Amino acid sequence: MSVLDDFSTADEVKVALGKQKYIANDEIATITYLSQKLGKPLLTEGPAGVGKTELAKAISGATDRELIRLQCYEGLDETKALYEWEYAKQLLYTQLLRDKLQETLSEASNLAEAADRLASEEDVFFSMRFLLQRPLLKAILSDRPTVLLIDEIDRADAEFEAFLLEVLSDFQVSVPELGTLAAIHRPMVVLTSNNTRELSEALKRRCLYLFINYPSVEQEMAVVRLKVPDLSAKLARQAVELVHTLRNMDLRKSPSISETLDWAKALVTLNAKKLDPETLETTLSILLKHESDLQRAKRWLQQPPRSRFDDDEDPRLRGWRN
Amino acid sequence: MEERIIKFISALRSSGVRISLAESADAMNAVDHMGVQDREGFRLSLRSTLVKDAANLPIFEELFPLFFDSNQPPPLMNLSEDLTPEEAKMLAAALRQFKDQLQQMLERLMQGDQLNQQELDQLGKLVGLDQVDDMRYRDWMARRMEQALRFREVKEALRELMELLAEIGMNRQRVEQLRQMLQANQQSLEAQIHQFAGQKIAENMSERPPDESLDSLLNRPFNALSDKDLDRLRKEVSRLAAVLRTRVALRQKRAKSGQLDAKATIRANLKHGNVPIEIKHKDRTLKPKLVVICDVSTSMRPCSEFMISLLYAMQDQISKTHAFAFIDHLEYISPDFAGRDVRQAVSHVLERMPPGHYNTDLGYSLQNFTRQYLDTVDRRSTFIILGDGRNNYNDPRLNLLRDISRRSNRTIWLNPENPALWGTGDSDILKYAPLCDAVVQVGTLAELTAAVDKLLA
Repeated sequence: MSVLDDFSTADEVKVALGKQKYIANDEIATITYLSQKLGKPLLTEGPAGVGKTELAKAISGATDRELIRLQCYEGLDETKALYEWEYAKQLLYTQLLRDKLQETLSEASNLAEAADRLASEEDVFFSMRFLLQRPLLKAILSDRPTVLLIDEIDRADAEFEAFLLEVLSDFQVSVPELGTLAAIHRPMVVLTSNNTRELSEALKRRCLYLFINYPSVEQEMAVVRLKVPDLSAKLARQAVELVHTLRNMDLRKSPSISETLDWAKALVTLNAKKLDPETLETTLSILLKHESDLQRAKRWLQQPPRSRFDDDEDPRLRGWRN
Repeated sequence: MEERIIKFISALRSSGVRISLAESADAMNAVDHMGVQDREGFRLSLRSTLVKDAANLPIFEELFPLFFDSNQPPPLMNLSEDLTPEEAKMLAAALRQFKDQLQQMLERLMQGDQLNQQELDQLGKLVGLDQVDDMRYRDWMARRMEQALRFREVKEALRELMELLAEIGMNRQRVEQLRQMLQANQQSLEAQIHQFAGQKIAENMSERPPDESLDSLLNRPFNALSDKDLDRLRKEVSRLAAVLRTRVALRQKRAKSGQLDAKATIRANLKHGNVPIEIKHKDRTLKPKLVVICDVSTSMRPCSEFMISLLYAMQDQISKTHAFAFIDHLEYISPDFAGRDVRQAVSHVLERMPPGHYNTDLGYSLQNFTRQYLDTVDRRSTFIILGDGRNNYNDPRLNLLRDISRRSNRTIWLNPENPALWGTGDSDILKYAPLCDAVVQVGTLAELTAAVDKLLA
């Protein structure tokens, strides 16, 4: 039926994701594969900026499905997530169609008949035409298979989570005026969470769990080389190693992969040849977004000798690798 | 295999991982899809279906190899094949110098015999391995088993043996070689024992009867709880906090009486041809606000850990919670909760405010509060004090509490002490009591639940 079903091994998933410029390790590939095989939503958790949302995008690209995204926030409710009647449009139509209605009703001989006629036209105003589809309904009604990304579910309220359970388990929605709308294609669902609050057991129970952590130096190298090919291999390695050292420091916010990439791009733009103190001074703010973190990192960088950036395999850095 | 997986799941459960029936069914399904040939795939299919909390991943990684790695311990080398007849004769002569048991052990090392299942079982029984169902005792149990095998004496004996051999006239290089091989064999035996201990404990864990019922735990006083009980209770507390929060939400929904919601009204009345028959109101966004002050002094220590975890759970549920802790002065602890899990947060707070010889001083702490944080209290907030009111004869500063109490919606005092002791010695609780809307004794979790329910009402 769908393209996704063509994957018969986890390795194929890996290759397909790779084509979307997403470097998946065995863990990500296997669990993604499983979630597709079992038809279960995939709950990804991990620090901010490790590519959880990116994974959903890559899956949608790899399977040639449309990506429908629902960004969660505090106060998100059904009318924003599922559907809403477009009442303004309904009102407008009633106004514009007044003459036509009058015409229809004028032929009626008595009140009862007029009411019957009006009732027979009722469906016009409660049809899909006036239904404003929000992401969840869109994913359910889409006539092509889709990937539904529910981003940062931990930001939504607990009530919304409970409501989501119903949708995720049956993939059908009941609209009182229209009846039950069932999914034509079961969308592939990816949920992401930054773990700012505990998700309910019930939601977790329905999902497969994938924890994405910061990648190893080698993996991150591969990502940097893929996305910023202009950066020399040597400089890329130094940069990635520095980022890893920073991650092991007790910072308020550790640099994420996306920030490493931004930094790498900045290094290319600045035409940096090596990571000298000057370059670091000017570009470190791309990696670290808190003043206290910046100060701390700078202090730390001033202590050890500069020479450690010159050789690729420094024993001191080895201990920090993940 | 299925049986093995089920055992594994019950071992996970007894280590504190919550696994539902649906999840174990998912695990079986996933294994069907992935097969068991590819070990990595097998591991991941179990992990993604069973473990849904990053904090539980280490438990999974520790138990998995114990259940699914092959039972084969590292192989031992047979030295006797390696020896020339002459050397063998020398060795035999040297061995005769040792006592029976040691001699047997040394011979075993020479020949590279692994311990068989029966011997392992016997050893296990000897050190009481059957009663152990906690992974933390694994190393200790392994060490006890090694002691039962007299490993230390064997090591000693090995050195003597080597010296003897050298004396008898074996080639020095050869002796060194022998020594290394024997040592390697001994290490393999140690590894085998360690593995056995782990597996045995894991099995015991999977057979452990379900834990004591929560009800009895709920009614036990805070200071009579073990670490493990605390862990379970902590879970119970966060569950309670979630329940209570929903209850609050419901109460607020029922009590809608806010402004007219024009949008919702039009929407609801479309079916009546826009004749406003059903009037919709905006939800009152009156979310509860909590300001909590917690005594963490020595007298409160047994239950303060618990109180702080309750604070943590509340903060998780009610975003407008301001938590403070005091001994002789007040500290704002809400920021300590951010980005930490319960346990870390609690120990962080308790480390920051270590118990000492200095005096509990609620009066001064209230003054701190009034000066710096009084703006956190308004007519929507519930002001809660967790403490025994034992003020070390310091000035209770009743006027400050009166002010705060006037500003807040309600003031509640939760006291872990038995009411019979209130007002005795340095307890000022009876002086404070008239200023509070309620003073409740919370000696157990059941009482705490009742109190929290009441205060969120």
